[in-house]
Formats: sequence, structure tokens, C-alpha cells
Amino acid sequence: MRRRFMAAAAAAASAAALLAGCGSGPEGGAGGPYRVLMTAGLSAQGTLAGNAATSVLAVKAGVAAVNEAGGVAGREVKLTVVDDEGNPTTALTNIRKAIASDRPDVVINAGPSPVTAATLPVLGQNEILSFNIAPTADSADPKKNPLNFDLTGNPEDYIRGFIPYLREKGYKSAGIVHGSTASGVTFAEQMEPALEKAGITVAGNEEYDTAALDMTPQLQALKSRNPDVLIMDGYGAPVGHLLKGVEKLGWDVPVVGNNSVSATSLVSTPPPGGVLGTAQTENLVMQVYKSTVHDPDDTAVNDVVAAMTGLGKIESTLIMATNYDALPLIAAAAADVGRSDDPKALAEALEKPEVQKTAEVVIIGGYNFKPGSHGPNLTAEDFDFVAPSPVKNGQFT
Amino acid sequence: MTIIWGGLALGAVYALVAIGYNIVFISSKTFNFAQAQLMMVGTFVAYTGLVTLRLPVAVVVLLATAAVTLVAAVEERLAVRPVEDPETVLVTTLGAGVLINGLTQVVWGGQPLAVPFFGGDGVLELLGGRVYPVEIALVAVAVALVVLFGWFARRSVTGLTLLAMAEDREAAMLRGVDVRRLAFGAFAASGALAGLLGVFVGPKTFAVATLGASLALKGFVVMAIGGFGSMPGTLVGGMVVGLAEALAARHLGSEFAAISVFAVLIAILLVRPSGLFVRTRERLV
Repeated sequence: MRRRFMAAAAAAASAAALLAGCGSGPEGGAGGPYRVLMTAGLSAQGTLAGNAATSVLAVKAGVAAVNEAGGVAGREVKLTVVDDEGNPTTALTNIRKAIASDRPDVVINAGPSPVTAATLPVLGQNEILSFNIAPTADSADPKKNPLNFDLTGNPEDYIRGFIPYLREKGYKSAGIVHGSTASGVTFAEQMEPALEKAGITVAGNEEYDTAALDMTPQLQALKSRNPDVLIMDGYGAPVGHLLKGVEKLGWDVPVVGNNSVSATSLVSTPPPGGVLGTAQTENLVMQVYKSTVHDPDDTAVNDVVAAMTGLGKIESTLIMATNYDALPLIAAAAADVGRSDDPKALAEALEKPEVQKTAEVVIIGGYNFKPGSHGPNLTAEDFDFVAPSPVKNGQFT
Repeated sequence: MTIIWGGLALGAVYALVAIGYNIVFISSKTFNFAQAQLMMVGTFVAYTGLVTLRLPVAVVVLLATAAVTLVAAVEERLAVRPVEDPETVLVTTLGAGVLINGLTQVVWGGQPLAVPFFGGDGVLELLGGRVYPVEIALVAVAVALVVLFGWFARRSVTGLTLLAMAEDREAAMLRGVDVRRLAFGAFAASGALAGLLGVFVGPKTFAVATLGASLALKGFVVMAIGGFGSMPGTLVGGMVVGLAEALAARHLGSEFAAISVFAVLIAILLVRPSGLFVRTRERLV
């Protein structure tokens, strides 16, 4: 009787285990492929589409590299890319659908920031690990988004790179001109106290409407205060209008552009289609990630570039390729944890410096995620300041 | 003076958009909300002709005029003619504008493209200010077009017929005017103008897929200030908007640039509800 009861109990336990295995909880599909869902604005308006395409190429290259090295804790990585048109609502709908049908293990977002802001709460509720290259004000805050990690610098990181360069050049005063976008405003708001702290006087801080067609008035206001250097935030057509404005005023001032300035193709295209090599770019240097500048000796970056070009044309600079690093980071975290199906354990592992060191990241030299901050916490060494030059395969040559 | 020149040039661009709006408004009492997008297509065709194909300027002007006329004609057939109600045309032309935005992006991409100016790209000193040759050209073209349209409206049969249509469409029909054909012609002409202007507007604004959105609203404000249907009104309205925007950005900050433009618009409409150059008519009912 007792033997029969034990057999029945064992059968019931086996059935329960089997049923649990069929469920869609975090543990589901642990033996199958490691599912990566990437949401990208491939058919978005403006420059976003090209940026998204570059980001997708980078993730595809990252997936191939990790699979070649044995996958994530032995699981083969399976990538699904969905087009969100750069629209937060579409991105959210796509993610909800994916969670309901084939729950992803990780979601990677190619931006822009409104997509990050819209999708993070749902990913958090469903305990899904996520990475993005379009940070929001709180995307790197582990208290609000414990399973999310930013793979691109926030304004603080960029400013950390700016200050040593400005000091090295001996600038005593600076003018700031920035766009009316959220990132432009944040950049200027954080740059001003950082400059003051570094002993550099802020001669002026002027905002421009990103839809405007002439920024000469703002530049003239700054010129009248005679700063040693002009710090410029901008992306797309506004960069062209700003450079035209500086030339029109006959203002001979060094101009230091941020990362987004370098991503504008006008500055890396020679005339007649661009302004490279003209008087407009004569005094311009731009902040870039080190990987964005071609170095024939940097085999790791060159291999990634070769892998990406093998998959398609790189339409933007490698600034948009930091999503590549998500895959080696996940693989390193899974190796540390010993499994890949526990997002919380993976997130904790990603905060460990030793895991960050073992991850074979390429686009940025190293990530410094911490228990108090899931931003990359970049250092000045992660950046270069370069004069404009032609861009080939996403790199300044 | 540099700021004044910049404001005038910007105002001229807005005025050129408003002239296109007016051509359609005079002929069919409705707005083509895709007019700014047609001008944007003109800048892209100018880029392709001058930079990619390296064609002579005259050929590029012809190419851009023909291409945008065709786009406008297609828009009229698909988004305007099937719609009877002028109010509905506002929506369908807005839709056409969105479609044109998307198509230009597919063809030319999202990054801004520099369009070289045939009159040179060097900065000139003029009346105490610094100005690009294209900025002077834009002001001159806007003035010339307004003078030309004034002459055309008063001295040519087509111009007088268009004015008659604007005055009373039914009466014009009773007098044997083929109003549909003329309205189509005016629509295509507004496209031709937008194409022709591509070689002037592109060097100032760049050819970029967001240009239509930047110009559409300001063009409409210019038209409201000058008065719907008034060509001299577009010129004065353009200058008012351009200068208000530039001077406010210089002396008050960029956040006041748009506010100043709309403050001027409201002030003018309070005094002249039909705009500066159109008289309000009272009717006994």
C-alpha cells in the first residue's frame, strides 16, 4: 500500500514538474535557445532609421560572436528583431506580444529615449533583463529599473570626458550652445556646474529650437561674451546651421562638439554634399568613443566592424553599435552565475567588477555598472577628441 | 545688421512657402498643407542634380520644376480632386504631406544634405552685416515673385480669371470658366514654383526630411499675418515673422522666438482680423 502511495506521489510530482516546465515563468525554456528580442526603429523618421539599422547589425554581430564562443551558459542565442518605427507605443505593443507568445530572456532597445521610457516599466514588471543605448533620466537607477543596464554614456559620462580635454587646452571660459531636446537641455544643465567646478567660467549658455533654420542670434549672443571655447550640442541639420552661423559671424573660436555632433554626416562629408574640409569645420573637434576612430592595430574593433559589414552597410557611426557589448556582458554574467535563466542573478553578476573585466566587450573599453548605478560610468579614457574626417564603416578614418 | 539679414532671409523662405499656399487658396479657396513638403522635394531634387549628377544649374532648375510639378499634379488627382468638401482637403493634403515626408526619407535618407549655391558660398559684408549670397538671393526672389504675381493677376487673362474664381467660383463657372482645369493648373503651378525654388531654399536650409515640418506652420502664420490670398501680404508677413524670430532669439532667448512670432500674429489679428492686406467685408443678411 505504502509502495503504491509513493509511486502515485512520484508520478504526481513528475507531472507537476512537467507542467511547471510548460509554463511561461522566468524559468521557462531554460534548456532551449537564449531568446534575445531587439526592438529598433528600422522604419523611423529622419536619421533614426539609419541609427537603428547600425544598432541591429551590431547586435547580430554580437550574437554571432557569443554563439561561436559557446553561447550563453551553453544555450545558443536566438535573435528576433522587431521594427518599432521609433514609436514607443509600437515598441510596447511588440514587447507585450513577445512576452505573451515567446517570452524573451533579454530585450535590447535601439532607442530613442521615449522607447526606453515606455518599455522599461513593462520589462520590469515581467522581470526581463534589458539593455538600451538611449538612456532616460532613471533608466540606470537600479531602485527603479533593477534589471536594466544602459550601454551608452549619459551626459555625466560625456562631461567627465570633456573636462580633462578643456583643461589640457587651457581654456578659461566657455560658451555652451545646445538644442531644445531633452538630451540637449540635460547636457547643458550638467555641463555648466561641471565647468564651474573645474574652474572654467561659463560665459553663456544658449538654447536653440531644433526645428529652427538659423542659429546665428544665439551664437552672436555668445560671441559678445568672448569665451575661449564654444561647446556645441547638436545633431543633424542644426549642426550645419550652427557651423554656418559661426562662419557667418567670422568668429574664430575653437568649437568642441559632443558625441551627437560627430554622428552628423555633414561634418564627415566633403563638399559639395557636406562641409568637411571647409572653413566651417576648421576649428571643430568632436568627442567620440575610442572605437569610433579607426585604429589599424585594434584587432577586436576591426573584427567587429568586419563582422558588421559582412551583414550589411553600417549607416551610422559606431556610437550606435554599443549594443554589441550586451551579448558578451550577458555571456560573462551567465558564466559567473552558472545559469542563464535567472535575470536577477544575472543583473547582480553584471554589477561585479570581475564579471565586467571578463566580458569580451569591444565598442566601449569597459563598463562600470555598480549596485547604485546601472549606467556605464565611463571615464575620460573611453573618449577621444578628433577633428572631422571621412567616415568609413562607421569609423572616422 | 547680421541678425537683420538673417531674419530677412528666413522671412523670405517662409514667404515663399506662403506664396505657394496662396496660389492654391486663390484658385480653390482651400489650403495645400503639403506645400512645404513640395518645397522640400525641390531641395532634394536640387541636391541630386547639383551634387550627385553634377548637372548645370539651368538643367537642375528644369529638372526640379518638372519633378515637383509632377508630384503636385499627382497630389491634386489623389488627395484633392476626389474630395468635394474644402475642409476635408485640409486633412487629405496633410496626409499627402506625411506621405511625401516618408517617401523623401526612403529615397534620400534621414541625414541633412548640403545643397551648394550657384552664386557662391562665401560670406559677404553688406551694409554693416555679414550675409551669405543665398540669403540676399532669397530676399530678391521673394520680392520678384510678389511683383510678378501682382502683374500677372492684373495684366493677364488667366490672372484675372483666377481672381474672378477667388471672388465667386459659381459666377466664374456661369461665365464659362473651366474652374476645375484652372484649379488643377494652379495646383501644378504651385508645385512648379516649389521645385524651381529648390536651388535657392536648399542652400539655406539643407535638404532634410524634416524641412517640411519646419516650414509648414511658419508659412501658414505668414499667410495669416499678410491676409489669405494677398501676395504682398506674404512678403510683409514673412519679413515680420523672420525678424521677430531672429530678434527675439538674439535678445530674449530662443524660448521666446516662437512665442514672439505668435504674439505678433495675435496682435495683428486683433487689429486686422483678416490680416494686414485683406479687408473684412460686412454683409447684410
